[in-house]
Amino acid sequence: MNIIQEILLVEDSQNDIDLALYALREERLANSIFVVRDGKEALDYLFCRGTFAERSFNHPPKLVLLDLKLPKIDGLQVLRELKNDPRTKTIPVVIMTSSTEERDLVEGYSLGVNSYIQKPVDFEQFRTTVKTLGMYWLVVNRSPVTDQAPTRIGESY
Amino acid sequence: MTVTERERAEGALGKSLPAGEQALKEFADLKFALDQHAIVAVTDIKGTITYVNEKFCAISQYSKDELVGQDHRILNSGHHSKEFFKQMYQTIASGKVWHDEIKNRAKDGSFYWVDATIVPLLDAGGKPRQYMAIRTDVTERKRAEEARERLAAVVESSDDAIISKTLDGTINAWNRGAEQVFGYAAAEVIGEPMVILMPAERVNEESDILTRIRRGESVEHFETVRVRKDGRRIDVSVTISPIRDSSGVIVGASKIARDITERKLKEEQRKQSELQLAGQSQELARRADELAHSRRALETQTVMLQSVLDSMGEGLIAADLEGHFLIWNNAAKKLMGRDAADLPTERWTPHYKVYLPDGITPCPPDRLPLVRALHGESVQMEMMVEHPERANRVCLEVTARPLRDSQGNLGGGVAVLRDITERKAAEQKVQELNQNLEARVIERTAELKAANKELEAFTYSVSHDLRAPLRHISGFTKILVEKFHSSLPAEAQQHLQLIAQGANRMGQLVDELLKLARLGRQALSVEVTELSFLVKDVVTLLAPETVGRQVEWKIDELPSAECDPVLIRQVFQNLISNALKYSRPRSPAVIEIGRTEKEGETVIFVKDNGVGFDMRYMGKLFGVFQRLHLAEEFEGTGIGLATVERIIKKHGGRVWVEAELDRGATFYFTLGSRNNSVPQIAAAVAGAAR
Repeated sequence: MNIIQEILLVEDSQNDIDLALYALREERLANSIFVVRDGKEALDYLFCRGTFAERSFNHPPKLVLLDLKLPKIDGLQVLRELKNDPRTKTIPVVIMTSSTEERDLVEGYSLGVNSYIQKPVDFEQFRTTVKTLGMYWLVVNRSPVTDQAPTRIGESY
Repeated sequence: MTVTERERAEGALGKSLPAGEQALKEFADLKFALDQHAIVAVTDIKGTITYVNEKFCAISQYSKDELVGQDHRILNSGHHSKEFFKQMYQTIASGKVWHDEIKNRAKDGSFYWVDATIVPLLDAGGKPRQYMAIRTDVTERKRAEEARERLAAVVESSDDAIISKTLDGTINAWNRGAEQVFGYAAAEVIGEPMVILMPAERVNEESDILTRIRRGESVEHFETVRVRKDGRRIDVSVTISPIRDSSGVIVGASKIARDITERKLKEEQRKQSELQLAGQSQELARRADELAHSRRALETQTVMLQSVLDSMGEGLIAADLEGHFLIWNNAAKKLMGRDAADLPTERWTPHYKVYLPDGITPCPPDRLPLVRALHGESVQMEMMVEHPERANRVCLEVTARPLRDSQGNLGGGVAVLRDITERKAAEQKVQELNQNLEARVIERTAELKAANKELEAFTYSVSHDLRAPLRHISGFTKILVEKFHSSLPAEAQQHLQLIAQGANRMGQLVDELLKLARLGRQALSVEVTELSFLVKDVVTLLAPETVGRQVEWKIDELPSAECDPVLIRQVFQNLISNALKYSRPRSPAVIEIGRTEKEGETVIFVKDNGVGFDMRYMGKLFGVFQRLHLAEEFEGTGIGLATVERIIKKHGGRVWVEAELDRGATFYFTLGSRNNSVPQIAAAVAGAAR
């Protein structure tokens, strides 16, 4: 059984990746996460090119967790390209960032982001946030991208 | 003849003629009577005087001896013609009595008149024997007659009308003059009433005149109007005098009338022309006076104008249409450095060394302000002039206007010169300064922008980069505790918990700090806001903090204010939350939110009965991260009041505090000038009255 990477985590900080995975693992969502470390890699993955050329547009991630401060190409640019392309524009994107800058928030929403979340300093809050996100987008929400029924959490683990 | 002589004559008669004594006596008596009355002479038939009586001698002044033997030619006055005497001789020679008046000459050459009757004494044959001449002295009468005749002649020959009338006004004399003056012949008017000469409206003059005449008065030179026969009215000057008879009784009046129509006319004309002349001469005198006056005024004005022109700080130049200078005052001399020169306009530029404002291009003659004014233009321009005594060119502001006479005809031009060299230099300096200033402003703005950018970048990176490590600390300590729970001693776990708490708190601080920083960059979004609503909202929000406490709220009705509701809500939140926090030891805690008036301003306050503080430390109160209490006593970041102050200052208001240790604190704030209008105050007063 192919492991379907249902969440694309775009995050340059290894610590944040570790914390996110720790939190998701508790919810048995860790295995469905694919992590890229910068904006370029994120775009390659999403547009099935470069090192991700064998990927298909038919299997888009169910959610993109996008940091804004990224090496090479920043998060808002990634969002812009994603939402500008008909093949990828329906993929839900949640910005998860330390920034509380109003302008980022405004621009993110204007570019079509589905949600904007500030990473809480407190780990308990962080955990709750990540858990809620995963549950919502992978289990509760129905996406137009695929016809697949929501993957049962148990199966993917 | 004396009585003695008569007696002698009688005696002789009586003696020589005793017979016809009686007859002789009678004759002698007659002769005596005759001699007494008349001048008697007897001549023979040849005319030789044979007898003269005393009277004859007396009147002729000759003696008897001188007369007897002479004939009457001795007395001839030369008055009568030879014919007269011839006729006399023929009459008496024929034996007839001759009677007439004769003018004789006395011995001393004076004349006398006698009324003479010559009686021839006839002989028996009826022929004259001798002649007896009996004369009466009529000299007086004659003289009177002559005088009267002369008068009559005068009357007749007079051009004046001389009329006499009776006392009842009937005309009884009318001379030729009267005929001429009134046009009536004497025959036509004699016997007529005087009033026929009078115009109807003056008829009553006659009775007045007659009344006066009767009283013996005269009317002299009375000027009136009379009517001629032909109906023409004439102006007459009349003198009327009473006429008396020889006994002095007034019997009539004489009237001398002179036609003065012409004189009147002439007089009128003369008067008229005199008047005219007088008027003309008066007018002439007046004009002469005026002329003299205006000449004096002109002189005064000229002198005044000259002194005005000379005392003017501005140069004044005037020229006629040919370009001849009429005025070139002292200031013009000083500014141009040259006096007026009689040159054609084309040569003005090189002579006076006039340049355009660039100071290089000689001013084209047709652009010279005065030349343009001479063509009817009004101009104001700046010019540079090379002054012979000044190092730098003089900058002049020239205003030129055409000169026109009262009919609007162009007659010349006038130019006013102002030295603006200094002003220009000052302007230049100002301009340079402005440019400098602008450059500096641009520089500063750029610096500020850079600083702002830096600050933004800083806050951006703070929000990103400072929070991330805190998150990591918090996260990994949590994982550490969770994962290695069993192998970690309780103390280690406690330390790890403190690490996590520290990180969390640091996260809070960073967040607050970022909020404060953002506040500085945020523009106010002002709207009319019900402050009471904000307060209620905040109190509701803070309700959870009052759980388990006794809190007494005293909330006044607050006015509406123009402010940013989001920010002022923050102010209330911070202040009320502070009040709640620091009154925690009190039961009940009393928190009062109200307003008061101070110097026309509405002041909002939040008062608590909490722990208060020492006013000595007030300076620290509004500083960032400044706290007057231990975190163990009262939690807090030390940013709340700093935020309050920043928001109030942004509104242009003030915030201050009154407190006392252990006696609570009162925070006051105002919301700036936009909330100081009278209605606000009125509302505040009304509110206070409640």
